[in-house]
Amino acid sequence: MIYFDNSATTIVLPEAADTAIKYMREQYFNPAAAYSPAVSVEREVNAARSRLASYINADAGELIFTSGGTESNNMALSGSLAARRGKCRIITSAVEHPSVYEPILAMKEQGYDVVVVGVDTTGRIRMDELSAALNAETGYVSIMHVNNESGAINDIDAIYAMVKKQCPDAVFHVDGVQAYVKMPAVRCDMYSMSGHKLHAPKGVGALYVRNGVRFKGGQRGGGQENNLRSGTTNVPGIMALDTACSIYMEKHDVNIANMLAVKRRLHSNLMRIRDVRLNGPEIENAAPYILNISFLGVRGEVLLHSLMDKGVLVSTGSACAARHRGKNRILSSMGITGERQDGAIRFSFSPFNTVAEADNAAQYIEESLHQLRRFRRR
Amino acid sequence: MEKIILVRYTEIHLKGLNRPFFEKKLISNMKGALRGISCKIRHEQGRIYVCSIPEQSFDDASDRLTRVFGIHSISPAYVVDKEWDNVVSMSYELMGRELERSGKTSFKVFARRSDKHYFMNSDGINREIGHLMLEKFPQLHVDIHNPEISLCIEIRDSAYIYCEEIPCANGMPIGSSGKATLLISGGIDSPVAGYMMAKRGLVLSAVHFYSYPYTSERARDKVIDLARLLSRYAGPIRLFLVPFTDIQMKIYDECPEKETTVIMRRLMMKIAERIALSEEARALITGEALGQVASQTLESLCVTNDAVSMPVFRPLIGFDKDEIMSLARKIGTYETSILPYEDCCTVFVPKHPVTRPEVADLRASEAAVDFEPMIEKAMEETELIIASK
Repeated sequence: MIYFDNSATTIVLPEAADTAIKYMREQYFNPAAAYSPAVSVEREVNAARSRLASYINADAGELIFTSGGTESNNMALSGSLAARRGKCRIITSAVEHPSVYEPILAMKEQGYDVVVVGVDTTGRIRMDELSAALNAETGYVSIMHVNNESGAINDIDAIYAMVKKQCPDAVFHVDGVQAYVKMPAVRCDMYSMSGHKLHAPKGVGALYVRNGVRFKGGQRGGGQENNLRSGTTNVPGIMALDTACSIYMEKHDVNIANMLAVKRRLHSNLMRIRDVRLNGPEIENAAPYILNISFLGVRGEVLLHSLMDKGVLVSTGSACAARHRGKNRILSSMGITGERQDGAIRFSFSPFNTVAEADNAAQYIEESLHQLRRFRRR
Repeated sequence: MEKIILVRYTEIHLKGLNRPFFEKKLISNMKGALRGISCKIRHEQGRIYVCSIPEQSFDDASDRLTRVFGIHSISPAYVVDKEWDNVVSMSYELMGRELERSGKTSFKVFARRSDKHYFMNSDGINREIGHLMLEKFPQLHVDIHNPEISLCIEIRDSAYIYCEEIPCANGMPIGSSGKATLLISGGIDSPVAGYMMAKRGLVLSAVHFYSYPYTSERARDKVIDLARLLSRYAGPIRLFLVPFTDIQMKIYDECPEKETTVIMRRLMMKIAERIALSEEARALITGEALGQVASQTLESLCVTNDAVSMPVFRPLIGFDKDEIMSLARKIGTYETSILPYEDCCTVFVPKHPVTRPEVADLRASEAAVDFEPMIEKAMEETELIIASK
């Protein structure tokens, strides 16, 4: 099997799984309990917190563990708005993940002024539009770091500077689910992370909240996570995330170089086929682990099924959007419509992928296309 | 005092010497519907009683019975010894509860007496109980034409007292009319068509054609879900999943473009008929409605009909789309039907399909290609799934 859908989720590293099992079978104590085995677990969780925070140049006290990206994105918004008085303007981009986009759109009904900023044809946010949208009433800005479908990378440091200059009171949130650990740290007020995109298990993630940012937190209860996110600490998940990230970071540059090599190889193989289009930025300007290609004259879903039969797993877009009918919001925002949108496939890589896989996948794609393109929609 | 479900049945009354056959079917279907709930079913004098139902399963049992074809309506009823004092105190209790629950104020007493030896006749019971109710509950008044509350008292072996009558699915008991095979697509119409024919007492089997990789696995799961939803009414359904991609490609490659859809439908009918024969079914069922799309014009229907010799039932033929949709909502298949997975792959749909095809033309186009080996292969690769709730 060739797994090219690592932006949907990744295989859990054996070391991460072992860590999780250790904290389920041996060190299973509730870190909030009073006896010493529990205190030792608490110390280990906090050591993990400190390491995980360091990858984004943060302090341990600025990291709140959550159940994953969706919770982090929701909590960032609700916890920030709860700490403000009155309604404000909320700015986001047209290509955000549904867990950012949908909660923000829902704030419209509550009287907030929601502005959605567009992107250019490569999927990057339009800085001129953003600058024009930032007004005195702006209270919350959420822009993603790496787009999950196009691989476009936003210049978060520049956006941070712009937001702080034009609206010093606004909170700037970044959805970093597709970038955490893989991409260099950026400046922002809040940053969302998810474990299962990094070879850790599903159900663990974190939200960075910079010291000094007004924030009311998420779910209430026993007061865990500094009283900002109650709920029994997910020790196996957190410790597995720590293990996975440590291993990733040890060979960070090699990992990135490997993924880029796979991406380049697949791209150059595919470009030899007729009627193929690259979506998103040029290879060197995009995330090295996401490649979005349109195969004209075939529906992406059909090509996906056909590749699945040959053992190649890819996606037609975000897995979180795959169940919804209709247009692809991300590609539409980039001006990619019609046949080019229908035929889009996202390939996403992990350090476990190889150049040989890229060669085999390209060959399978060519074979599938040869058969499927005979039956073009008339 | 015991709480039971009183079951009234429908057209079975019209049957003459066959009546025991229909009644037996109905009772056996009720048993099937109530599987897993411990209870007893008693049948006498044109009524069926479901007794000894555990309290926590009572609502579930009522709900399941509303979907059994052949039942006209049910009433949750209280059974007491027909001693007059018991009848009165139960009536008080039930009326008191009804007033508290609904806040309604007008009522009428409906008494029936099959025990002609009872000391009071129906009219006497009506008057006496009516009088007692008015005395006990001053907010009540009698309305004999449009009562909000109907207090029903039936004096039989015991007294049966109830206020509520829940309408049910009507129709004929499943299995009383034989077997038929439904062509099910995953859209809104075909499950409704299956429902309507099951309602007339048919045991259903179903045939679905899928075109992997052009349609997704979720589309296939959706059809299985639809068959399951339908089985809540129709009982277990034998669902045949027929791989159809190769045949569609052959049609695409070798038949005139504008005829591809009609030829496809003819071949679907042929395969469905073969499956129906193997299932000892005597008819096919489709969700076609006259004029809905190009393949459902009168001419197209004649052409698809011509492909088979079995009768083809099209219970929705005279329905508008919104009528079909509201029926789909009523039977609970609508939400599943509209899930966005492509069923019949649009990739093969011609831009300008023929709307007034001629039988002779289509026979000729079809005969020009040897589909038989592919039909046989599809039949061999067909998968059988038993869909039940």
